[in-house]
Amino acid sequence: MKRGQRFKSGLVSSLNPSGYNLERWSYTVHRITGVILVGYLMAHIFETFQLTGGALAWANTMSTLHSLGPMEMVGLWLVAGSALYHGGNGIRLILNEVFGLFMGKPILPVYPYSPTSLGKSQKFAVWIITAFVLALWVWAGLYLLAGLGVI
Amino acid sequence: MVETIDHDVLIVGSGLAGMRAAVEVLSRWGDSGKTVGVLSKLALMRSHSVAAEGGTAAVLYPEDGDSLELHAWDTIKGSDFLADQDSVWKFVSLCPIEIRQMERWGTPWSRREDGRIAQRPFGGHSFNRATFAQDKVGFFEMRSLYDKLQEFRNWTRYDETFVTSIVVQDGVFRGFIGIRLRTGALAYFRARAGIIATGGAGQLWKFTATSVSTTGDGIGLAYRAGLPIEDMEFMQFHPTGLIPTGILITEGARGEGGYLVNSKGERFMQKYAPSKMELAPRDVVSRSMMKEINEGRGFRDEDSGLSYLQLDLRHLGKEKIDAKLPFIKELSMKFIGVDPAEEPIRIKPTAHYTMGGIRVDGKGRVLDGDGRFVKGLWSAGESACVSIHGANRLGANSTAECLVYGRIVGEDVAAYLESEPRVPSPSENSAISTEEDRIFTNLFRREESSADVYSVKARLRDVMDKSVYVFRDEAGLTDAVRQVRALKDEFRGAKVTDGGRVFNYNLQDVLEVGIMLELAEVVAQGALNRRESRGGHARTDYPNRDDAGWLKHTLALRTADGPSFSYSPVMITMWKPVERKY
Amino acid sequence: MDKIVLRITRSGGKRVSYEVKYRKGMTVLDALTEVREKQDSSLGYRHSCRMGICGSCGMTIEGLPMLACQTQVSSLNKEVISIEPLHNLALVRDLVVDILPFFDLHRSVRPYLIRNDVGERDHSDREYRVLAEEVSKFLQFDYCIMCALCYAACPTVALDPFYTGPQAVAQAYRYMADPRDEGWEKRIDLLDTSHGVWRCHMAGACSFVCPKDVDPAKAVQLARMEVLKKRVLRKRGREGARLVSPPMVGAAKEGVKPPPFDFGGAKE
Repeated sequence: MKRGQRFKSGLVSSLNPSGYNLERWSYTVHRITGVILVGYLMAHIFETFQLTGGALAWANTMSTLHSLGPMEMVGLWLVAGSALYHGGNGIRLILNEVFGLFMGKPILPVYPYSPTSLGKSQKFAVWIITAFVLALWVWAGLYLLAGLGVI
Repeated sequence: MVETIDHDVLIVGSGLAGMRAAVEVLSRWGDSGKTVGVLSKLALMRSHSVAAEGGTAAVLYPEDGDSLELHAWDTIKGSDFLADQDSVWKFVSLCPIEIRQMERWGTPWSRREDGRIAQRPFGGHSFNRATFAQDKVGFFEMRSLYDKLQEFRNWTRYDETFVTSIVVQDGVFRGFIGIRLRTGALAYFRARAGIIATGGAGQLWKFTATSVSTTGDGIGLAYRAGLPIEDMEFMQFHPTGLIPTGILITEGARGEGGYLVNSKGERFMQKYAPSKMELAPRDVVSRSMMKEINEGRGFRDEDSGLSYLQLDLRHLGKEKIDAKLPFIKELSMKFIGVDPAEEPIRIKPTAHYTMGGIRVDGKGRVLDGDGRFVKGLWSAGESACVSIHGANRLGANSTAECLVYGRIVGEDVAAYLESEPRVPSPSENSAISTEEDRIFTNLFRREESSADVYSVKARLRDVMDKSVYVFRDEAGLTDAVRQVRALKDEFRGAKVTDGGRVFNYNLQDVLEVGIMLELAEVVAQGALNRRESRGGHARTDYPNRDDAGWLKHTLALRTADGPSFSYSPVMITMWKPVERKY
Repeated sequence: MDKIVLRITRSGGKRVSYEVKYRKGMTVLDALTEVREKQDSSLGYRHSCRMGICGSCGMTIEGLPMLACQTQVSSLNKEVISIEPLHNLALVRDLVVDILPFFDLHRSVRPYLIRNDVGERDHSDREYRVLAEEVSKFLQFDYCIMCALCYAACPTVALDPFYTGPQAVAQAYRYMADPRDEGWEKRIDLLDTSHGVWRCHMAGACSFVCPKDVDPAKAVQLARMEVLKKRVLRKRGREGARLVSPPMVGAAKEGVKPPPFDFGGAKE
């Protein structure tokens, strides 16, 4: 099956959650934050590697970073948010997928239909993680963005 | 160039009967190298069999008081004594075997407390012998058969292949010619054995429970091939079809205790069938309902102009409805916004089952006008007329018939192929080129179209709804025959307006309407000829059953001037006809 | 409203608009039929039962996969309704897509009852003993009408054409949970592949669009747990349900008498 022939398949379609359920939106954010984290991981390894070049190389790296100005801290803040979300949502996914939590049990469908895997328990899990993540992110922001004069 | 595709067995129609026959044939062959081709004008699993709701009848518990004799008696009495009794006996003997076989293949029958298969009451049966799977029995049986088919290797599926003619030469079946909708190309499917299992012709009526695909193709094609079709005037009108679409509400709703109520709030079945009430056979209930409506005790739906009565399930309670009738609740809420636990459902008799069909013998072998076996051709299921259901079918007997006859035919086909030597087939080129001309030259390339296919189809269905419905009379039927003939003439000027080749549904519509018109003529004329009332054929001008004059099957053969009718006797081996009271 | 407009994406990507007079209770399928019968007979779309049980009429309506026959026009709350083919399947013509790959994926998980004693399964005279509670462990997943809406909604399917798909995995689980089935080990191996059950990331879109509440997302996670039980916990497949004990045919049960029956004088 050639992928190109399928109607509206592909990356954009898979990341587009419009009209769908909450969990599909969280899938999209999870994917995007995952990419951000992978990108950050590679950048971080590259940055730390500069240490092996001696004090001068390291000082150059640091000044390049500081030359970004406020964007350096904002960027780190975004990465922090990504890590918090990806980790927190990841825990929910592990609970779903490995332990079957928040999914409900097989039932006999009764109209009007409401699948148990997307039911109250699942929604609660999503929102509680989101609340927790947001709280921590705000706190991280206070810490990271304090010296900028932004807040 | 028309492609030729060879198989040992070809099955047209992938509903319950078709797939059951395929499984039977394939189970007997193992890895013998022989192959089966399953053709369907829809994708497999889309066939109308999935819509069957209520149950499959079988004598599973003789130790509880049921007996094969009782089932046979119920069926024969239900058929208004037009059923062939020896075939009925064979049928009831195999039903329990089929139910248990389906169970072992994965069908999720509803269960009793002890883990055995449960059964429930159903119309016309004197014992609670309708085996059920919630209220979607046809759907679950289809899933089991379709899934079972996936186990075999030596079969090919031809989805969305519309068979346009049956090739029979010198009394021998040769093959089917069909259009592969995917490419728009004609193909010739050749085999030593063919099984027609294409279902009934419910779409002849506008107010019907059947799918859009139920246009009587197999029956019509057999008719065109010069084979006799039997008992076509007997159409079953199921009492409870949703207003305004005709979508089916199962008899199981009445089996679980539902009431039929008129505009005065009365359970009117008291007057017509005091002992069985709502669980009298369907023709009795439909006639009672229409009487109530005709005498002014019905309701009227303003939007569609249709009259209706009510099916009251409120007293069953929400829990019972959710557990035993969930599909009914879904249909009722989705299509008319009514929750059956809160409000009664609006219903009217709807065209449902074709008792008639291709004339076959007790083994499903298709017979020609002289009663000889058309070598290599069988039919099973609703498209066949054995006849087990006679003038009226009992509920839960059709899914049973499809399974039993799918098995019988599959067995017979396998045995036939063992014993018959391969006959070199003469050239079928003339048959193929005639078909090519008919479809691609005439229908496509005609210059002017003087008939709108969809308008003809709508008018045909209105005529059938009006004059060939539950109650019929001389004037109405004569008018119906006249109008159908006029529509047939008008249709000669029809042309395919969609010039594309790929998935040309317009072409399929044109071909289907051609078949529908021919069948409608047989139904209307046959009804006009039969001057009595029996089972599903009720005439207000001849309201009684006339065993002396009319205890016989109607056979229709195609001629240039329309159908020519003859009659054949009913096989009576166990019970003489008596008055049919419930 | 007295009229609606259907904006349909036809072959070649072109969007064509058709105006249809609105009737109370009209479904999207009714509207499409109006268009085909009265305006443009070349419009291609599948349909059959019109009651939401055959699964033919799946298409993308207002961006979501739905069954046209059971989508009320009034529930969409729009006067211009955009319709396009089902996603993730190859387009054949207008709204008709190629569903054969979807059926092939279903077949690939061996979706039938597997028993070690095939002779018993195919030739016995009795049924397997199954309690109602055991049926309810898998019955929900047997509601699947194979309409492919879940397949169209799944973001993994959008990226990976070889992914088994929510429907096929759910059907594999349906059989694994069936007490009569003895093919548990075989199906674990079919699911534990690089394009198998691990590709699901619980976006839940499949369950969101399923018209029969099969809840495939739940089935996939349950299937995944079965795979983990074998790989990590070393669980073994169990024996399938046994046949019921032979019925006492002919012997009446205690206190049950066959009802006296009157054949109405018909018996010879």
